[in-house]
Amino acid sequence: MATLQRLGSPVNGNGSGAATGDHNTPPTSLPPTPPPTLALAPSSSTDPRSHPPDLALLFDLIPLPQLILSPSCAITRASARFLADWAVTVDQCVGRDLLSFLQAHLQPLGDPTGHIAASIDDAISSRAVRTTKAIYRHTSSWIARIIPVFKEDELLAIVTEWRESPVALADQELFRPGLSNDEAFRILVQAVKDYAIFLLDTNGRIATWNTGAELLKGYKRDEIIGQHFSVFYGKEDLDIGKPGMELEICLREGRVEDEGWRYKKDGTRFWANVIITAVYKDGVHVGFGKVTRDLSERKSAESRLIRAYEESEKLKSDFLANMSHEIRTPMHGILSACSLLIDTPLSERQRDIVNIMEESGQVLFQVINDILDYSKLASGSFSIKSDIVGVSSTVASVVRSVQPTLPPAVHFELFLSPELPKSVQGDPLRYRQILQNIISNAAKFTEKGSIRVRATVQEEDEVSYLILTEVTDTGIGILEHATALLFTPFTQYDITTTKQYKGTGLGLSIARSLAELMEGRIGYRPNPDRHGSIFWFTARFKKIKNLEQIQDWRQRGFNPDGSPLEVPSAGALVRASELAASASTKTLLLVEDNVINQKVMLGLLRSLGFKNTALASNGAEAVNMVCGKPAAYDLVLMDINMPILDGHEAAARIREHGIRVPIVAMTAYALKGDRERCLEHGMDDYIPKPVDKQNLIKTLARWLLETRDYRLPPIDVSADNSVVPASDKVQPNVEVTDKQIGKDGDTPVIR
Amino acid sequence: MPDFGDHVDNTIFSQILEMDESEADRDFSGPLVLNFFDQAIETFQKMEEALAEKDLDTLSGLGHFLKGSSATLGFNKIRDSCQVIQQYGHQLTVDGSTEPDENVCLQKITDALKAVKVDTKELDKAMKKFFEVTE
Repeated sequence: MATLQRLGSPVNGNGSGAATGDHNTPPTSLPPTPPPTLALAPSSSTDPRSHPPDLALLFDLIPLPQLILSPSCAITRASARFLADWAVTVDQCVGRDLLSFLQAHLQPLGDPTGHIAASIDDAISSRAVRTTKAIYRHTSSWIARIIPVFKEDELLAIVTEWRESPVALADQELFRPGLSNDEAFRILVQAVKDYAIFLLDTNGRIATWNTGAELLKGYKRDEIIGQHFSVFYGKEDLDIGKPGMELEICLREGRVEDEGWRYKKDGTRFWANVIITAVYKDGVHVGFGKVTRDLSERKSAESRLIRAYEESEKLKSDFLANMSHEIRTPMHGILSACSLLIDTPLSERQRDIVNIMEESGQVLFQVINDILDYSKLASGSFSIKSDIVGVSSTVASVVRSVQPTLPPAVHFELFLSPELPKSVQGDPLRYRQILQNIISNAAKFTEKGSIRVRATVQEEDEVSYLILTEVTDTGIGILEHATALLFTPFTQYDITTTKQYKGTGLGLSIARSLAELMEGRIGYRPNPDRHGSIFWFTARFKKIKNLEQIQDWRQRGFNPDGSPLEVPSAGALVRASELAASASTKTLLLVEDNVINQKVMLGLLRSLGFKNTALASNGAEAVNMVCGKPAAYDLVLMDINMPILDGHEAAARIREHGIRVPIVAMTAYALKGDRERCLEHGMDDYIPKPVDKQNLIKTLARWLLETRDYRLPPIDVSADNSVVPASDKVQPNVEVTDKQIGKDGDTPVIR
Repeated sequence: MPDFGDHVDNTIFSQILEMDESEADRDFSGPLVLNFFDQAIETFQKMEEALAEKDLDTLSGLGHFLKGSSATLGFNKIRDSCQVIQQYGHQLTVDGSTEPDENVCLQKITDALKAVKVDTKELDKAMKKFFEVTE
């Protein structure tokens, strides 16, 4: 390529472009033809008077560093300014490939050629001007504008225009393409919208604020910078000095994480997860970095989950409770009816059948109880009651109850340590239940030998005892591989097919749960002396604080050995309902002088179904009423101590009139002789005062349902007019109905 | 069951409560207890009169009378004091042996009457609270 020359002559006025020429060409008036490689657009000068300068000259004089490239990116021309700025000569650049030229003349840091080439390609393919990224040369960075020159479809040249910008000293270390580190991080932090990321100074005052912080907390940057970060905390946290504590911990540990309520500018609160990190520069503490996340969504999801769970738990335990009642009630009915049926005259075949019914019923009942217990235990809604427990008496009682089921070749041995406390605090029913389970198991699986039950105090402290109970049998034992599953629910170990172990397989599992609820454990080990098993369990019982608690148990309805005080036996339930059925047809006479007692008795009788009860306030009135209407009353309830005429006298007088109405004395007398006196005076029966409901039911049933009506003609027509009535003379209830201690010792009815 | 301490035998009293329509509507036990306290106050008055006249017989009868109703409701403390009055009214000690000295009897009765009035007042207060009766 010819080098450019300065032309001194003025521009030709012909309007043609700048002429080029070389030394050897004399100045002619030939119109200058543009060199073939230079395809410049026609002069853009709008001044018709200006003479278009020599293009080559123009190009040279342009005060911009410029390079013209061939379509293949070889440098074809360099402006003077370029040569000057880059301190290169024409030979060094013209003719050379641009990229190799650049590589040679640039600071060898990074490879700029990649992006320059990309920019050029981009410019060519899009036929548009492109700007490259910066490349670094000495103390400056250069960017280039890539200008492709097309004539129709042909790429004629690429013009590159270079621009310099001084690089700050500080960035010198970061001669990397793109952003500097700081700038990059700043943009990062600023742009993040989901997290509040900001800096605090060493005192906790807010120094920076990002978009996320603004969105999350509601404060704008200028509102919040300089304020203390405790402005986000709620009253409770401020009261306990939480912000300060957090900074303290942060300094100590380097970081602190917290979850809690934070408050926005508008006062609403959100559940935040906050991480504070201590920031150091050159070893000096300069502040804190804080990142806050909004976890409100998660928290509300959590509480929704918990609510749903609690609701389902409640449904479960309601279901259990209801089912429990619904199932047990008819079971009671079946068992009651069965036991009554057994008491009636039956043929042998019938008796066999009924026995089967009862046995199956008992087993079913046990199974149901097991399942309900197990469900309750599994759902965690089982609670241990706190009552009085008599350890020794419970053990003895259970042993007694299992005794009848023992095979003849097996006997019980009972060892009760003298150190066992007389009474302790615990759940008597559940303690009994575990004992019952283990001991009856032993009985089931022992053919001959012994079952030894031993209760001792394993541990004692100031407030409680840990009682150990061991049951050692000489039975069939348990195979080693089965021991692991012993206390697992729904597993039963049955060594032979002939022995049918009735049950759910839940007994031991329930026993274990109960023992654990009583802060104890349960376990098994083989009998070392002989073939057999040792089942043991521990349970913790609190010591009794004072005597009052012992007296309390009387009022709770249970004996310390776990057996209920009043057994509304199967018979009683049926009696009560039968009585109620016929009560509406019966007329009673109540003889009682104290108004309060009258009211109570009437209420009691009403509750049993007796709607027509006549009232007399003293003995004389009673005699008048009964003798006046001899057949009016089905039964007379007579108080003894009354003014005017007492009960004894009244009864005697009624009898003198030959009226055989059943008279039941209500007496407060505790002395034996007094009861007998009642009978002597013609009373048929007596119940102690204050009157107990169950007792009343039993007595009324006896005289109203089981006794032949006194008004009916005598059955045995005997010659002698014996005063002894044909109605059955029933032996009265001789038991000590100290209703608290229930031994339902019925004497058999004499018929 | 509320705790009336040793004033009330809970087993007996709860039987009374069982006859109520419901726990919210104590239409049976409420008026009954109210009646009892009325009866008690009346009886105490009569006892004071009989005491002034040193009428042991009447005192015994009155004691027996109130003993009956208090026992029925399970108000054991009141019952026991009435038992004392009943016995000493017959010139007997509480375990049945004779007490010939009238003055001793009268003194015992006086003491018992004093005690039972205090106990009754206490129990009345507790009962009113239980039945949520405003004075």
